[in-house]
Amino acid sequence: MKFLRGIALGLVSLSSVVLAASEWSFQDATLYVQAKGAGVGKPIKETLVPGATGLSFPVGLSSADTLKIVLTTTENGKPKRPHQAFLNLRELETGLEENIAFTLKDNGKGKVELTQKDLPIQFLTSKSFIRVSLLLASFGNSVPYTAYAFEMEVVNDGSIVVPPPAERYTVKEEIHHIFRDDPKQPPAFISVFFAFAVLATLPILLGSWLMLGGNISHASKAFGANPLAHSLFFGSIIAMEAVFFLYYLSWNLFQTLPVAGVVGLVAFVSGSRALTEVQDRRLAGER
Amino acid sequence: MRFTLLGLLLGFLGIVSALSATGSSLLVIIEEEADKSKYSQFWADLQGRGYEITYRSPKDTNLSLFLHGEPAYSHLLLLPPKSKGLGPNLTPNLLVDFINGGSNILLALSAEQAVPTAINSLLLELDINLPSDRTSLVVDHLAYDLTSSAEKHDVLLIPSAEPKKGVVDFFSVDGLVAFPRAVGQVLGNASPMLSSIVKAGASAYIYNPKEETEGVEDPFATGSQINIVSAFQARNSARFTVLGSSEALQDTWFDAKVRLPGTDYKAGKTSNKEFAQRLSEWAFKEIGVLRVEQVQHSLDEDTKDINPKIYRVKNDVRYSIEISEWDVDQWIPFNPPTGDAVQLEFSMLSPFHRLSLNSSPSTTNKDATAFSTTFRTPDQHGIFNFYVEYRRPFFTAIEDKQTVTVRHFAHDEFPRSYEISAAWPWISGIWVTIGGWLAFVAIWLYSKPTRDNKPASAKK
Repeated sequence: MKFLRGIALGLVSLSSVVLAASEWSFQDATLYVQAKGAGVGKPIKETLVPGATGLSFPVGLSSADTLKIVLTTTENGKPKRPHQAFLNLRELETGLEENIAFTLKDNGKGKVELTQKDLPIQFLTSKSFIRVSLLLASFGNSVPYTAYAFEMEVVNDGSIVVPPPAERYTVKEEIHHIFRDDPKQPPAFISVFFAFAVLATLPILLGSWLMLGGNISHASKAFGANPLAHSLFFGSIIAMEAVFFLYYLSWNLFQTLPVAGVVGLVAFVSGSRALTEVQDRRLAGER
Repeated sequence: MRFTLLGLLLGFLGIVSALSATGSSLLVIIEEEADKSKYSQFWADLQGRGYEITYRSPKDTNLSLFLHGEPAYSHLLLLPPKSKGLGPNLTPNLLVDFINGGSNILLALSAEQAVPTAINSLLLELDINLPSDRTSLVVDHLAYDLTSSAEKHDVLLIPSAEPKKGVVDFFSVDGLVAFPRAVGQVLGNASPMLSSIVKAGASAYIYNPKEETEGVEDPFATGSQINIVSAFQARNSARFTVLGSSEALQDTWFDAKVRLPGTDYKAGKTSNKEFAQRLSEWAFKEIGVLRVEQVQHSLDEDTKDINPKIYRVKNDVRYSIEISEWDVDQWIPFNPPTGDAVQLEFSMLSPFHRLSLNSSPSTTNKDATAFSTTFRTPDQHGIFNFYVEYRRPFFTAIEDKQTVTVRHFAHDEFPRSYEISAAWPWISGIWVTIGGWLAFVAIWLYSKPTRDNKPASAKK
């Protein structure tokens, strides 16, 4: 039953569309753009024609301007008020749309006023033009009017404050940690130069000792008198340096300390014997 | 997340044939028994998918959403009541508790009856605004059904919209979906938990048919700002879906013949049946449910030591997380929509790294996708988290946090002094000291006097 009624309704509406397609349109339409203070720029006054291709130039709208359209809506050429009379604004970049309703009287005469305050922030910050069309429609079988009227350019004169964007669950910007710089080194040749300068002091020291008469000629005499004590004492002094070197290279303190203790003990015991021999030589006047 | 998993387990234990990831018990609030038959195809579809449907009237005094303090049902479908309100058992407070308990709600509205104020205020809590005069409906003089609403233009025919970049497309169907006598919703801008499923066309607007004016001058909302179907997903991933037109679920509109006005007179069948299935699948968590399978992190060069508790600064670390998605009746590998990515944050208070992960099929689990990356731990010691937070419209939330310590260089991990060129003069100084000391000891011990100094020793 409902289905049949639907078909019947459809047929009725179809026939009515074919027979008496009452079309919405408008007449006497004028577009004004006026600044609040007089004399600021030239006011725009253009006539809008229904069905035409629209204005050929973009209409500028700065913060002080008011855009106003005055028109009379018609149905089949007679002034009449439609249920829906919107100025449709479309931002081309994002596809965001906003409709602003006309204030109409019953005889179809009416107007709409638009300032920057009426626009969403996305329109104000848009780089592209805003496409403005007129939309007149009503119930029943009347044919709606919807056509491009003009392009609007929102002039940003610095008074527009962009609020921070609202939070959305989406992919966030990547963050890559910025590492601190590695420690800087002086040029290697400077280090090499000073390293050699330091190393050069050893030959200078040995040379000056030689010039002052330093020698090791009594080594054979000393080793002859007490070979065990001298070889152990001098050996333990070298061994102690070797222990320090191994500590520098790889040993830890627990490996170093016992070995250093043993070497130290050897040095202490053998040193007293060796130094006794040295004292003997001194008492013999050989030092 | 934990509740979801628990629900999952319970769901599996309860009924194997249940398709929802959270459970199969569905409570339908319908006021008049006679209206039930209007939705018979929808009920049959739901029952075929394994739901145990309980029908109750809002006037039923025994009606309770809770049993022992826990939600008694996994899902709730609220059809528009004929009476003014929903009664004392379905107050906004109880419905919010029901969501907080992890259950899902599908709320269907209709402009045929005035929307109860209780629902108005409930939706306001979620930042969904309905027109304040409770009988308003959406009309569109350019996209209505010529067959059924030639005069009133209140049956909207809406094609599926292009999904937004980076947002999953669960709801698009071929052809037109009819929304008769829809209640339009306006979503607040502040909440990221709200998303729009179906928007009205550019020429639509909301008006109150009871108002005796000839033209609309201050519409509540216009164009694509009007949502016909919208979704709210709570922090616990419970879903609240608002369907502006309950009639869209009725048998009359499943495969109904409709025609758009205009010169081309496009005629065809509605896709309401398919859309109702998609919408209920999403609303009752049959799709878009995510699960973390396995999380692994390790040193990049030593992948045998899995998930160590401690790393050093400037270690190269490999991280991988496996995620699967519930798709009607099985777990499948999850792939984010194009333009979207799963991101890892390596954070201590604030993220030091935030990296998009590369996806690859998991080698161990055929139902999961592995998301992985390698990066270098920052040169800052402390307690860090491997933190993956994936919150997206229409997907349940994923939050995975693995805490590790990042330590300093140990004393034996710094470069050796001979590797530092600036140290060379000092090292050579040490060698000179050693050489000089040994030479001094040798000369002191074994030096022979150069001249006869007996008198000197005799003095002593």
